[in-house]
Amino acid sequence: MTERISFRSAQKKALDIARTRLLVGGALLAAAFLVIGVRLVDVTLFSENGPSRQANARNIAVEKKMDRADIVDRNGILLATGLKTASLYGDPSIIIDPKVAARALVGVLPELSEADVLQKLSSKGEFVWLKRHITPRQKYEVNRLGIPGFEFDEEERRVYPLGRLAVHAIGFTGDDNKGLAGIENSFNTALSERSERVTLSIDVRVQQILRRELAAQIKKFKALGGSGVILDVHTGEVLSLVSLPDFDPHTIKQASRSEKLKEEFKNQQFNRTTLGVYELGSVFKIFNHAIALETGVANMASNYDARKPIRSHGFTISDFHAENRWLTVPEIFMHSSNIGSAKMALDIGVAAQRKFLTDLGLMRRSSIELSEQQQAIFPAPWTELSAMTIAYGHGIAVTPLHAAAAVAAVINGGILYPTTLIRRDELPANGKRVISAQTSADMRKLLRLVVENGTGRNAEAPGYLVGGKTGTAEKPTAGGYKRKALISSFIGAFPMNAPRYVVMAQLDEPKGIKESYGYATGGWTAAPVVSQVISQAAPLLGIAPVDETAPNARRASAIKVATPRARGQGIATN
Amino acid sequence: MSRVGDFGSPELSLREKLIHLNWEMVVMISLIAGIGFAMLFSAANGDLSPWASRQMVRFGVGVVMMLVIAVIDIRFWLKVSYALYGLSFILLATVEVMGSVGMGAQRWLDLTVIQLQPSETMKIVLVMALARYFHGLEADDAGRARYLILPLILIAAPMALVLRQPDLGTAGVLGLIGLAMLWLAGTRVWQFLVVGGAGLAAIPIGWQFLHGYQKQRVLTFLNPESDPLGAGYHIMQSKIALGSGGLFGKGFLSGTQSHLNFLPEKQTDFIFTMLAEEFGLVGGTALIGLYAMLIGYCIFIAFRCRSQFARLLAMGLVVNFFLYVFINIAMVMGLVPVVGVPLPLISNGGTALLTVLIGFGLVMSCWLHRGIYINRRGAA
Repeated sequence: MTERISFRSAQKKALDIARTRLLVGGALLAAAFLVIGVRLVDVTLFSENGPSRQANARNIAVEKKMDRADIVDRNGILLATGLKTASLYGDPSIIIDPKVAARALVGVLPELSEADVLQKLSSKGEFVWLKRHITPRQKYEVNRLGIPGFEFDEEERRVYPLGRLAVHAIGFTGDDNKGLAGIENSFNTALSERSERVTLSIDVRVQQILRRELAAQIKKFKALGGSGVILDVHTGEVLSLVSLPDFDPHTIKQASRSEKLKEEFKNQQFNRTTLGVYELGSVFKIFNHAIALETGVANMASNYDARKPIRSHGFTISDFHAENRWLTVPEIFMHSSNIGSAKMALDIGVAAQRKFLTDLGLMRRSSIELSEQQQAIFPAPWTELSAMTIAYGHGIAVTPLHAAAAVAAVINGGILYPTTLIRRDELPANGKRVISAQTSADMRKLLRLVVENGTGRNAEAPGYLVGGKTGTAEKPTAGGYKRKALISSFIGAFPMNAPRYVVMAQLDEPKGIKESYGYATGGWTAAPVVSQVISQAAPLLGIAPVDETAPNARRASAIKVATPRARGQGIATN
Repeated sequence: MSRVGDFGSPELSLREKLIHLNWEMVVMISLIAGIGFAMLFSAANGDLSPWASRQMVRFGVGVVMMLVIAVIDIRFWLKVSYALYGLSFILLATVEVMGSVGMGAQRWLDLTVIQLQPSETMKIVLVMALARYFHGLEADDAGRARYLILPLILIAAPMALVLRQPDLGTAGVLGLIGLAMLWLAGTRVWQFLVVGGAGLAAIPIGWQFLHGYQKQRVLTFLNPESDPLGAGYHIMQSKIALGSGGLFGKGFLSGTQSHLNFLPEKQTDFIFTMLAEEFGLVGGTALIGLYAMLIGYCIFIAFRCRSQFARLLAMGLVVNFFLYVFINIAMVMGLVPVVGVPLPLISNGGTALLTVLIGFGLVMSCWLHRGIYINRRGAA
């Protein structure tokens, strides 16, 4: 019995020990769980890798810059949009070995300088930009390095799907997504605050044609550059705006690498069409003739003596395509006679010339929505000599855009519309009559004449009744003109029986070639551009070619270009 | 419950066994496994293949095995303990000879049908063998030094084999299981200290036998920032991912660190990190809580067992399970070196899942047969 009791008690004691040990063991496990629980709180909530307040502040700052509105062309083709990209920054307080990190980073982003990266990573702070707007591929490569302390911020990068095509109109933005040029600049507030896209008047199809043809001609004649513009004569909308050389808006940062690139970029960035002012030469005869006809000092049958050059105030005014005879008003225009034009200007007088040129909008800032603008340079004081030279486009410098807009008013029936880069959905009501419909009709015939029989024959585009005027001006230099450095232009319009569009092309310092018999004039260099552009763009713009021999078409240029009666019988008109 | 009180009628029919089975435990296990499936689904970037679907199949097979094991009489398990230990030991020795090399270590025995890791099964049979040994001792004998020789051999022999493979983590776990069993069996505290001390003393000697990469791992553990691109990479990335999860995480399938493959081995050893990245502190705590509940429940079972064998078996298996959980979670949080221990019921992988479920089957068997008195030789 006692044995059994002792056995029982021994067993009970063993059970007690076992259960105590079990409880102690269980307590140990519980303690261990407590440890990992505390550690979990530590690493998830108090981790140095957790989002810091600073990082949040940065994200908020970035948030504001997101969602800049798109820019599209008149047909809705995307011209500028935002693309979310990653920007790489470093946190030097986390970077363990700046040397190793810098070398590794330059290994995958070779465009960075190792010394520069090392200096940034060795700095004290917690934030240094290393590279903005990297590609997903580059981000992957950087991530693959697995180096703690390299972080990414999501940013929006402005992307221009058509690259340099309409870069002078669209403009570009800086790193902070703020517009720096073009529409991006002038519409910066609207683009960044409103989500509606901005629809330009530009038609990229036409823009592409004009740019291509102009570039080809610049290459052919080894010109320094060129400018081109296409305007809707009834709305003032700019369908195309080209300035060459141009640039890729995505690579503007590279321009800061060297002085040479900086200089080159300055040249590329310069908008010749709206910012460049040029003496346009004979193109101005359009205005001179329009004023003469409008003021009534001459009519289509008037004659002027162009037998010999005019000498006045120590200057000689002579003709390039000299006929050395009396010329009718249409002949003066057709043969681009400086002598005849100057004499017409004397009849018009300084005051009337100035008034009409002002009415045509040439003397003031253009209404185009670009800040890259220049106003005309005109003579002060405006003398009779000035009036004579202005008649054939010297002594006054305007932008190609100003000239194109004024020509549009001259041919559209006489109404000047404000120029715009934004698509108009209805015809503008704010046009201003500058000349009569009759004068405008006469001018259309004169312009058609130049292309049919005069200096602008190279601008002909069969079926489109092109009219226009050549212009060849010597470039001014300190105290005179350079005979071999020309600004060669052509302003055309079509179809002349009912004009729709003005097309202007201009080349800076084209060099004569064999094909042009050494000539580098507007008729040889710029006119073919207009011809090409019209024949390619007209179908896109919905203008059907016409039979030029049809009576309706004939009427567009039905002018009596009668040779004046023999000398001596002359109706002298000084 | 009244019929199966601690000292009530212990014999149950199969039907009764199924009724009295710890279904709540099955639910807990299934919950954890369910979290595992979700994480494997996420690790494959929202795809059932390659991991989640296969893991579900394995789990299904494993649960059936678990239930079968649970209803088998505990006395049968007592009888076959040594045999299973011997068989496992032979298998373990065999991998030394013909084991195929998997992940740089000879741990897999290719049985053509399934690949087996004898080192995993060894953990369970070691618990069984030690439980049987101590069950057979008189209460006081467990405290006597000479009775400790055999269990120390039982522990040390597989450890030595596993160390040769080399598998530092498993060897450590075997050692810890052995120590825990000695403690539970009632070894005197001083003896326990001696054995523990000897183990510690063996570390510098063992250090000599370690592979270069293993030494590197330990050194890296002591200072992970010393080599962020090399051996410290796992831990650095794991901590970054954990930290990025915050309180509520980034959301299911949205763990950037994991999905962008910064996190290594996210479907196996580092799966907890991915969970914490996607579900944050809340998710991580919830899982740890589930584990704690399951482990606590098993301890309760061990406490209620009448026989020393069942008590030791249940508790030993719990310790085994706990070690998986603790070492894995502590590892991904940088508390212990990276040793390659999976997170049980969650990590992708067949052997670990099956052995854990077998272990739970045995624990359930302990519960179903808790009232049975077993004499020292193993008869009822």
